[in-house]
Amino acid sequence: MIATIARQQVLMLRRQGTFVAMLATLLVMTALAGVLGWSSHHTIVRAYDEAVKLLASTGKPAPPNPFTLKPTLSLLSNMVVYIPLIGALLALIVGHLGIVDDEAGGVGRLIFTRQVSRTGYVLGKIASAGAVLFVVLTASLAVSAISLVAVNHAIAFAEVGRLVMFYSLSWLYLMVFAVIGMATVLITRRRSIALLSALGAWLVITLAIPQFTSGLRPTQSLNPITDPVSTSQTFFRVTASARPYSIVEQYKQASGRILDTTTPEPVWQTIQRVLPIAGLLLILVLVTARLVQRHDFSRSSTHE
Amino acid sequence: MSESRRRIATLARHEYRAATRNRVLIVLVGIVVTVTAVSVYIASVSYRSQLADYQAYLAAAQANGVDRIAPSPLAPLSLLRGAFEYLEIIGAVIAITLGYLTVSRERANRTLPLIRSRPVTSGELATGSVLGALGIIATLVAITAGVGVVCVGLIGNTWINAGQALQLLLAYVSAIVYMGAFYCLGAIATAKSRVAANGLMIALGIWLIVVLVLPQIGDTMDADNQIPGGLFKALGLGHDGEVSILTHFTTYERIRTWTEEASLAKHFERFSFAMADVKERYRPFGLPWLLGQTRNDIGWMIAYSTALFAGLRCTFRTQPTIPRGGTP
Repeated sequence: MIATIARQQVLMLRRQGTFVAMLATLLVMTALAGVLGWSSHHTIVRAYDEAVKLLASTGKPAPPNPFTLKPTLSLLSNMVVYIPLIGALLALIVGHLGIVDDEAGGVGRLIFTRQVSRTGYVLGKIASAGAVLFVVLTASLAVSAISLVAVNHAIAFAEVGRLVMFYSLSWLYLMVFAVIGMATVLITRRRSIALLSALGAWLVITLAIPQFTSGLRPTQSLNPITDPVSTSQTFFRVTASARPYSIVEQYKQASGRILDTTTPEPVWQTIQRVLPIAGLLLILVLVTARLVQRHDFSRSSTHE
Repeated sequence: MSESRRRIATLARHEYRAATRNRVLIVLVGIVVTVTAVSVYIASVSYRSQLADYQAYLAAAQANGVDRIAPSPLAPLSLLRGAFEYLEIIGAVIAITLGYLTVSRERANRTLPLIRSRPVTSGELATGSVLGALGIIATLVAITAGVGVVCVGLIGNTWINAGQALQLLLAYVSAIVYMGAFYCLGAIATAKSRVAANGLMIALGIWLIVVLVLPQIGDTMDADNQIPGGLFKALGLGHDGEVSILTHFTTYERIRTWTEEASLAKHFERFSFAMADVKERYRPFGLPWLLGQTRNDIGWMIAYSTALFAGLRCTFRTQPTIPRGGTP
């Protein structure tokens, strides 16, 4: 039953064009990250060459090669910004559409006249979101690998492994938002209010919480390379205890570690960063399953 | 007051009252005010200790009879940087939501055809709605400005003077114009879509590109931003060396500038940061010079807002004057 509901939902997303739109957006995003990475590579090469000439003309020694400061997979550092921002919004929409269309179209009322359990129904919906995200992230992984080969002329087996781990973590992270998109439909009466509530949750998780726990301003959250922020104030000594639960920060730091673009840390520490994301997903799945049990699908729902 | 103005004022009051009744909007406003207060609080605490250091230096220099005392490098208005960034990002979402609610509320209540059946022109409807929305936006901006200025005064121990207040006023007026443009975008996208929620999604997609993607690309392409700590610093080059190297990046810098120019958010950011002394290079100069330097940004903000307001008038003109069947 779960598989049937999941298949039906994937089919609906395909027919509505949502699946293609999401795939296209994520692929454009990945290609853009690749182009920006390539541009960054060439800028460094050109700036280094010009600096060598300039310093030589003044009799100074050549500077150290800045590529020693730039890890190979940093080419994809923009993906670590795009996935929590744009990918999470897309995941919200996938989750939102999964339930809201059943409400608006009256399918919700019809389906439970059949022998379908509510738990099976919601698990099917979550599985469909998982499948859609899996396909788009796999395609994104392929584009990332192509970008790396195009710029670096080679890709090591270990780097492919790191890419697979990064996209697996991204899948886990995006699933959180897909389930938030579903839960907000189940706790609100109107379609628009559900979408705006989900958007509010996205703003809080992505922009507000990092400001509270780490002092990161919104524009710093948008930039893959940011200067460290001083968090020695009393305020941060209080809020820093909540930092392990700021999933966007944990995602970015774990991604940086997986892609080997940040300071090395023990593996168990990276795993500790992933656990809050997995824990939140589990809690949200349980909450959504509970909400479905109590949801009145016989209530007439409007598009607005 | 002429009949037309009276109708516009009535529509504006209706828009204002209806918006203040929406709980989601109130929650979004609550989020932006809270994060503004936190960002200004964090900046003010750090500023207070820097100010204390400077005052200690000043007292020691005066006690020792030093004639040439270095001026304070501190800029109290720059503590509001986070507040402007939140208006740039979350403020735009709130404005789109307002625009969406303007249309979806009237459609769901089936009052839009009713209004259009009265002697109200599309221009009056658009102007009344925009004025009501600007009233809501101005209230939000005034609250965040008040919270910011009081935080700077109480926590940062610096109350702004009249000149700074004028600069801040201009920055907040630009915030109202900026959010007004996004209000028009939200209303246009919703009015043009058969299902209002789809219009909201389209408007949010445009917001994503204009506010998040384009400025991010511009920042990421900044030559100095390529490695942590700055590329030119890593190459052992000072400001002169950086300027010299950048002469070889003319086309690259032009593309980067064009990318940023396409974003209304970037123009608002540049203007508000100049007014709020966020960038050190603007701090020594007075208001006339700052306005001259940012005239391009002012022009773009006015052009975008005017075009979107004109678009809203056209969209309202084409709205059906009789109710359509089915779901709105």
